[in-house]
Amino acid sequence: MNESSLLRSLRGEALAVRRQFLRMHFEARAGHLGTGLSDIDILVYLYKAWLRAGDQFILSKGHGASSLYATLHHFGLLSDEAIATYYKDGTLLPAHPAPCALEAIPAATGSLGHGLPIAAGLAYAYKYLHQSKQRVACLVSDGECNSGSLWEAALFAGHHRLDNLTVIIDANGLQGFGRTKDVLDLEPLADKWRAFRFRCEEVDGHDFSALHEALQRAPDAYPSCVLARTVKGKGVRLMENKLEWHYLPMSDEQYEAALEDLAEADRRWQQEP
Amino acid sequence: MRVDFVKAIEAVLAGDAKAMFVTGDLGYSALEGIASKYGRRFLNAGVAEQNMVGVAAGLALAGMRPWVYSIAPFATYRCLEQIRNDVCLHRLPVRIVGNGGGYTYGIMGATHHALEDLAVLRALPNMRLFFPCSNDHVAAAVRQIAELNGPSYLRLAISPYTTPLAPLSEQPQTLTRQYAARRDPRAPSVTIIGVGHGVQLALRALASGGLEHKNVDVFGVARFPWDFAVDATLVRSVIESGNVVTVEEHYADGGMGESLRAALPATRSFRSLAAAYFPEQRYGSPTFHLEQCGLTPDALVRAVLEVLH
Repeated sequence: MNESSLLRSLRGEALAVRRQFLRMHFEARAGHLGTGLSDIDILVYLYKAWLRAGDQFILSKGHGASSLYATLHHFGLLSDEAIATYYKDGTLLPAHPAPCALEAIPAATGSLGHGLPIAAGLAYAYKYLHQSKQRVACLVSDGECNSGSLWEAALFAGHHRLDNLTVIIDANGLQGFGRTKDVLDLEPLADKWRAFRFRCEEVDGHDFSALHEALQRAPDAYPSCVLARTVKGKGVRLMENKLEWHYLPMSDEQYEAALEDLAEADRRWQQEP
Repeated sequence: MRVDFVKAIEAVLAGDAKAMFVTGDLGYSALEGIASKYGRRFLNAGVAEQNMVGVAAGLALAGMRPWVYSIAPFATYRCLEQIRNDVCLHRLPVRIVGNGGGYTYGIMGATHHALEDLAVLRALPNMRLFFPCSNDHVAAAVRQIAELNGPSYLRLAISPYTTPLAPLSEQPQTLTRQYAARRDPRAPSVTIIGVGHGVQLALRALASGGLEHKNVDVFGVARFPWDFAVDATLVRSVIESGNVVTVEEHYADGGMGESLRAALPATRSFRSLAAAYFPEQRYGSPTFHLEQCGLTPDALVRAVLEVLH
């Protein structure tokens, strides 16, 4: 697949994952919509174009679990039967990833600041103990960059030159109870990662071309960080950039409006050359 | 116990290529040999205990069996959520090792004591606790832990009352030892249960004659969860005496005495000698703190006499 057809196909697949994601949330009457819509493009890119056999992905922002489930389902890593149980009693797919539930999700996360240390441990083992070429990607949220354990792990990864570790920050600028710049201002965030010895690049997290360029760059002896600037609720106008969509479930009308936004995006995508 | 631990862990590292040693920047004049011999299988994670335990979980997910070492309070409280979420929820073979259980660190001060480590860890799912009674039990505990596929905590400690008193009987499976047996099965008696190195205090009381001619059974327990099917002798003693005194260098709330009381058959009397928050807000050696909170051989003798009379 050449690059332009890859990029076009990624846009189509991301729309399909958004549709699945919205259906899951609508049927379950579940919240955490905004965060999933902000990271779906990153997840679709990783599963379509980045992860190779043996690589590991750690979702450190555990509240993005449903978008990961939808992505895994889209790429055939989660069955129709399994995805139908999302949020229901007896499921392996609760709102935050469960321990020992799915091979594709090795770590139960949900308390922020846990995924990156685990990812760093995996990367250390792959690089120094197994001498394998396996890589690790870890998706964190910008709000998660408040936590000390994340920076402990960053220090560790830089010190040990874990060039097989890639951190992607879903930086949608919103966290639990406010804008990140008002709660605990992280800026200059890219410089912080660089100061921890990461090669850090800042991109539009919904621009597949930019994600592709940043994530395909060959490692250079230090871990990588892609600071992906995203929009919470991306793709559904009524949710975009609104804090409340961290929590709210959709009404029937809102679900219809959301699907209409996706249908419109799909029509535009179909007309692309 | 640290010397015995280092010796035992060297054997584990030598025999198991998946075993690793991770330290939170501790081990001066103890771990240099391991550090120089095991290359990347020795990892100093720095003064960053949360990351250290998360990294250990990642190592375990990659098939390694890491031993994670620090001073007991640092290896447990700071990183408790990592132990709970990353290790215990995933049933990973991460072996937490806390050096300096109880008041071992004495004059180093309150931040360095570990008086609620067993309480917080015993509540965690899939966690197994090991608290050897004496130096010569450390290797056995390490061997048992090395066989586990799940999480564990090893509490290393030193008692100022350490007494080289040979046990009457040993139960290698549970690490329980009996040090003294009642002389008169019909006379009133007391079952003394020392938790980990807390038993040393009871042994001192035995050795110094304070418990001589007292009708007591003395046991040391070293592993949790309890396995009373194996430790049938202990249970029989408790049923027959109907009187229990437990001794532990740990707070009473959430401690092993409390757990034993809930798990053992009901008794006429059940007393727990345990640590206490600094009664006079003064600080000192392990002996000073043990005396401050009534964890002494004499206090044990008094407790036994009170029960018997």
